[in-house]
Amino acid sequence: MKHLKTVVLFVLWLWTLPALAHHVLGRPSYSLNEDSNTPPSMQMETQIGDYFVNYMVYPAFPRPNEPGRINLYVNHLDGSAPFAGKVTFRVRDDSWFSRHEETIGEQAPDDNVFRQGFVFSKKGDYIITAAFEADGQPYLIDFPLRIGQPSPVGPLGISVAVLLSVLIGVSLIQRRRLMRGKIRAAHEEQAR
Amino acid sequence: MIMTHPGLPWGWELAVWAVMLLLTLRALYRPVAANPGQWRYTLTRLPGLGALVRYATRHPGPLLVLKVFSVALFLLVIVAGLAGSPIPERNIATALTWNLWWTGLIVSVFFLGSAWCAVCPWDTLADWLVKHRLWRRAPAERSLNLRVPIQLRNILPALLLFIGLTWLELGVGVTTNPYATASIALLMLVLATVSLALFERKAFCRYFCPVGRTIGFYAQLAPVELRPISTDVCSTCTTLDCYHGNADIEPCPTHLVMGRISQNTYCTSCGHCAQSCPHENIAWRLRPPGTEASQDARPHWDEAWFMLGLLALTLFHGLTMMPFWESWMTGLARRIGDSGQLLWSFSIGLTVSLVVPIGVYALAVWLTQRLVRVSLPFSRLFARLAFVAVPLAFAYHLAHNLNHLVRENDGLAALFTNPLGNGALPLSMAEKHARHLHLLIPQDMLFALQAGLMMLGFYLAVEVIRRRSMGLTVNQGAASRLRLLPLLAFTLLIHATSLWLLAQPMIMRM
Repeated sequence: MKHLKTVVLFVLWLWTLPALAHHVLGRPSYSLNEDSNTPPSMQMETQIGDYFVNYMVYPAFPRPNEPGRINLYVNHLDGSAPFAGKVTFRVRDDSWFSRHEETIGEQAPDDNVFRQGFVFSKKGDYIITAAFEADGQPYLIDFPLRIGQPSPVGPLGISVAVLLSVLIGVSLIQRRRLMRGKIRAAHEEQAR
Repeated sequence: MIMTHPGLPWGWELAVWAVMLLLTLRALYRPVAANPGQWRYTLTRLPGLGALVRYATRHPGPLLVLKVFSVALFLLVIVAGLAGSPIPERNIATALTWNLWWTGLIVSVFFLGSAWCAVCPWDTLADWLVKHRLWRRAPAERSLNLRVPIQLRNILPALLLFIGLTWLELGVGVTTNPYATASIALLMLVLATVSLALFERKAFCRYFCPVGRTIGFYAQLAPVELRPISTDVCSTCTTLDCYHGNADIEPCPTHLVMGRISQNTYCTSCGHCAQSCPHENIAWRLRPPGTEASQDARPHWDEAWFMLGLLALTLFHGLTMMPFWESWMTGLARRIGDSGQLLWSFSIGLTVSLVVPIGVYALAVWLTQRLVRVSLPFSRLFARLAFVAVPLAFAYHLAHNLNHLVRENDGLAALFTNPLGNGALPLSMAEKHARHLHLLIPQDMLFALQAGLMMLGFYLAVEVIRRRSMGLTVNQGAASRLRLLPLLAFTLLIHATSLWLLAQPMIMRM
């Protein structure tokens, strides 16, 4: 009964929590438009509040010190004029134990597209946040961005290190066990 | 742009519904046959092929060849995943692992039982690394041979690992990330090897491996089994080579004695028993599917949780591939202030998906206990009837995976020419459409197979309820059979949910 109360209270808490901002899932897909000369892009489209948002990142796999660009399209769901305010782009480090965040720019629409350039000096996982305010409501759109390829040595190196230490450890323990057995047998032999 | 596969047409949906209702009525009004078909057919008696089956079962050579092949593919996945292109559809690590292996694996259980475990690359590589032998028995001192701590001597660790893998697969999105796919493959190899180096026999296969245990439970419904040809020979056997092994052959990796085996759940099909039996008394046999789940397998508390977890996770897999899932998650994220990859929202969704079916099952068991008025404790009844989850999960899992297998493997052969995807560009829209339209079998045949599987699954689930309820006053007349209603309602509810999921458009994986 006590647990049931806790669960009910938790559900009620979730339900009554004010929606401070709109957030969306950033699961990208890679695409190539065969009719254009543009490089492969990472893109995502989603519906958020009263807006339909489409963003693209060029190139799809940016490397450190390589200039890249985000194109953001924000259209009202009722098909009226595109969003005309300003969008702020922020970036934060998505690696564990790091929450450093900085603003990379504030953009007004250029031909209905919010364009934001970027250059990252370090490879790693980042979260880009596009923020704007419409009808008195804050809108936040998060999407992940990977800069550079992760090192193949990481998981392989850790796996090899763990395996070697366990196998060598087991081998040493077993040798000591065998040696101890031999010494005990020799002592017993002498005692007889 | 999200592309979706069409769901099962309503005509087939109606046909499955009709069969479900007829089978439910049959369960309520027809008594259970006291002695169901117990036929078995030993495959070594097959004209012509029998000798081949006997050779493949009793000699390690053929299995070793398959193991080498599977290890080669595994190493290719590791190399391609870690050093290849991050585009999932152009990298063989993701395509081979998630599109072919993970989907084909479940289909293979339908025909071959737990055969995959016999060629599993994690176990093979762990064996080679720890024992330094290709197949012969290694000296015992290669491993510490510790006993698994009693708290871990059940399959709840496998269930927890399965939930963890599901979280990584669907929450973090490992299926579309070659690097993460290779990293998980390596993690499983490390777990298998460390377990083999520390514990006696194959503790990883027996207690920890979520893939092996999933295969094991589904194999209860497989039409094949590795069993003694004559139980009389086993009852007079004094050496128990199947359990202890012999000078050349390793003992049973999961502590099974062939003379007493009654279920496939923990058999890894390694064939050690067949190779070591001095009486040549172990062979592959054909059997009626479902008899093991409905009567032979013994109920255990931890196994009941695994079976129900398997059912819940299978439904959850289907749910996350529906187009509406993302809007559900976005809605929840807005409520709780989640952002980024929405892992908190996903975790809540996963927890609810686990709790709801298991809760409904517990309620059905509780009602049954009240109705039949037996002195059996709730936990015993819970474990005894949980076998109903196996055919329900397997039927939906098979039907769902057939979609992936048939619709998403076009172009896989071409990946072998550039397995790392070096220099490859993402699929263009034209290629995506071409892949979407090119099925490995005609679409109508796919729908018929899916509907057939759903009908078979429901039939087996009802049979499990009928046979597992024998002794709970079920055979005392039609009125007493009405007491099965809570469990039949649970089965109908779960299967109707599966059918509804199957009838929805499903998002194309890659």
